[in-house]
Amino acid sequence: MLKIEHLTKHYKGSNKGVSDLSLHIAPGDIYAFIGHNGAGKTTTLKCVAGIQDFDAGAIQIDGNDIRKTPLACKRLFAYIPDNPDLYEYLTGIQYLNFTADIFGIGAWEREERIKEYGEAFEITASLGDLISTYSHGMKQKLALLSAFVHRPKLLILDEPFVGLDPKAAVILKDTMRAICAGGGAIFFSTHVLDVAQKLCNKVAIIKDGTLVASGNMEEIVKQGQSLESIFMEVVEHVEAN
Amino acid sequence: MLRQIRILTKLELCNLYGLNVLRFSKDKKSKQKTVGLLMAWAILLAMLIGYVGGLSYGLIYLGLEEAVPAYLITISSLLIFVFGMLKVGSAIFRKEGYDILCAFPLAMGAVAISRLIKIYVEYFLMMLAVLLPGILVYTWNIRPDAGFYLAGLLGIWGIPLIPMAASILMGTLIAGVSSRMRRKSLIAAVLSILAVLGIMYGSLRLSVMDGNIDPEMLKNLSASIMILLKRIYPPAVWLGMAIIRGDVFGAVLCACLSLAVFGAVAAGVVFSFEKISQSLCSSFAKHNYRMGKLKADSLLRSLCKREFRRYFSSSIYVTNTIIGPIMGCVLSGTLLFSGTDTLKEFLPLPVDIDGIVPFVIAGAMCMMTTTATSISMEGKHWWILKSLPLSTKNILDGKILMNLLLLLPFYLLSELLLIFALEPDAGEILWLALIPAVIILFSCVYGITVNLHFPVMEWESEVRIVKQSASSMLGGMGGLILAILCAAAVGLVPKEYTAYLKAGICAAILTATAVLYRLNNREN
Repeated sequence: MLKIEHLTKHYKGSNKGVSDLSLHIAPGDIYAFIGHNGAGKTTTLKCVAGIQDFDAGAIQIDGNDIRKTPLACKRLFAYIPDNPDLYEYLTGIQYLNFTADIFGIGAWEREERIKEYGEAFEITASLGDLISTYSHGMKQKLALLSAFVHRPKLLILDEPFVGLDPKAAVILKDTMRAICAGGGAIFFSTHVLDVAQKLCNKVAIIKDGTLVASGNMEEIVKQGQSLESIFMEVVEHVEAN
Repeated sequence: MLRQIRILTKLELCNLYGLNVLRFSKDKKSKQKTVGLLMAWAILLAMLIGYVGGLSYGLIYLGLEEAVPAYLITISSLLIFVFGMLKVGSAIFRKEGYDILCAFPLAMGAVAISRLIKIYVEYFLMMLAVLLPGILVYTWNIRPDAGFYLAGLLGIWGIPLIPMAASILMGTLIAGVSSRMRRKSLIAAVLSILAVLGIMYGSLRLSVMDGNIDPEMLKNLSASIMILLKRIYPPAVWLGMAIIRGDVFGAVLCACLSLAVFGAVAAGVVFSFEKISQSLCSSFAKHNYRMGKLKADSLLRSLCKREFRRYFSSSIYVTNTIIGPIMGCVLSGTLLFSGTDTLKEFLPLPVDIDGIVPFVIAGAMCMMTTTATSISMEGKHWWILKSLPLSTKNILDGKILMNLLLLLPFYLLSELLLIFALEPDAGEILWLALIPAVIILFSCVYGITVNLHFPVMEWESEVRIVKQSASSMLGGMGGLILAILCAAAVGLVPKEYTAYLKAGICAAILTATAVLYRLNNREN
């Protein structure tokens, strides 16, 4: 579903960025992407979403190159950043309609999906209000709704659980599992390692822009261990070297 | 409190004209953009220096040197008032960063005062830009004594205060009234536009009154200029005369009077700051939406609708861009009711005025296009369009279409009024309709081109984009400058050749528009 090959992105005048990062995400994968602040997670996700250009490497989504055929790629995924700055001058329903129009979703289909997810996330009553009146969690829910409206094959999420209430977090996890069960894939960054360990079948750890560990969750986190202890172990090991 | 004001003022001033970005940014592109913006300002400054210096020299040449300081003070005060009226409301009561400041142990009065000081510094620099070249010309030619310099030094710091106070009063009133309404931005935009139209009407009345000056007075031109200036802005004449006479006491008195006026208005702002800011930051949420039937729109229609909603959500964006089209209609209406003679009075040019009317209307319509800042206005929301399956062409078409649809009613009304006013024949109707349409189309596409090259996506206040960005200066006025150049060309050519020239101009502009449109769509 998603192939990242030797991705390299450096910011001028800064030593931050990503170096030679390769990852393969197959259909059905829920892939956690973890690392400390400034490790390069958001940069990687932005490159995958086609928001940021990169210096070297290649990114393919379902066989389409993000640089050569960006529109074909973007039709397949939904991206939600860590701080969903949505159009504050639109109401929630106007924003959802706008997204649905861009993806060419029919009136009846969008109605059904907005009803379904709006009720699940308990946001329907607020859809007539301006987004500027929304709390961070409500914006996050609306961003998720706008993603689910067009049924993406790949979900790229940056810190999706931040700001969500417990019920919404459970619904999001269930929806992520459902998308993967239907042949989709999810690539998301998180600092909540407990959630990552329970939810994901694969994990990648990034440190200072370099991938230091990746693979199946069971292979990386052995029985009796926690992802948290493995993360600290791997990071300290890299620092020591 | 003083310490808080000092810290906050330092924060306000540190990125004046983007200097902090220039100093600390390691990103070459953002540095280049800041340098580009500073260069655009420098060009405008050079033009202003040339204009003011020339004007001062002209007055001295005519033996009207007594009027120079008062004239310069009036010009700078009017500039500060006009710029300020559209800007200070949103600069003082800006929502960005208000919540963070509220959380600090700060007196809200200190926040208000620091913002007022920043505005004062900006306008003091603007005043210097107007005043210095003229004063240099004056001192070079007249060689005044030391009293002139002393009175000048003690008096000039007060010049920006009264126009600032007037613009703050108006800005605060607009912000105060709109903060009580649900559609704050739209109300603020409508009130600002009404204020600008009121000022335009007032200045027209002033010039009409001018005609009633006693003919005896015209014998003494200097006296009549002073009377006119006194009508426009009396403190300018008082201070100007005090400076010329080297009257130190008079100059200090003028400055203190200005300070007193400003102090009274500033006290009102400080007193109402928290209440207005909180009202502006508060929002109305009904929380009663029920799912009904939804409607699907085409891609372009959906993008265009979103552009319109963005446009009308920002009072400063609306105010800055709608005045031109309104002026175009007012001008056409004036022609209908007063004939072309009024236009000939306004534009005392040695050319066929009827022939350049389409360019004048086009220039007014394109005075400030929305496209010139439409990309920058996306700001922190840019990621949405970038992550959606939209081509550059889709996004830019939405922006251009919105600008064209916004101008369409003004264009149609203006054309209708002109047809009744000028009673043109079929050939003239063609030019009357075609020339503004072609220039409007060009200016919308050109605005996009400039904004693509000078985008500013990280900003805190819309004022930074709409009023102070390189794109708004270079892109927004492209159509106006083009209209002036074309009008000049048509005006200089013998009447029998103007039709050929107009056809050539239209063809050239359409070709340039097509080229720019293609180049824009290639951008990533």
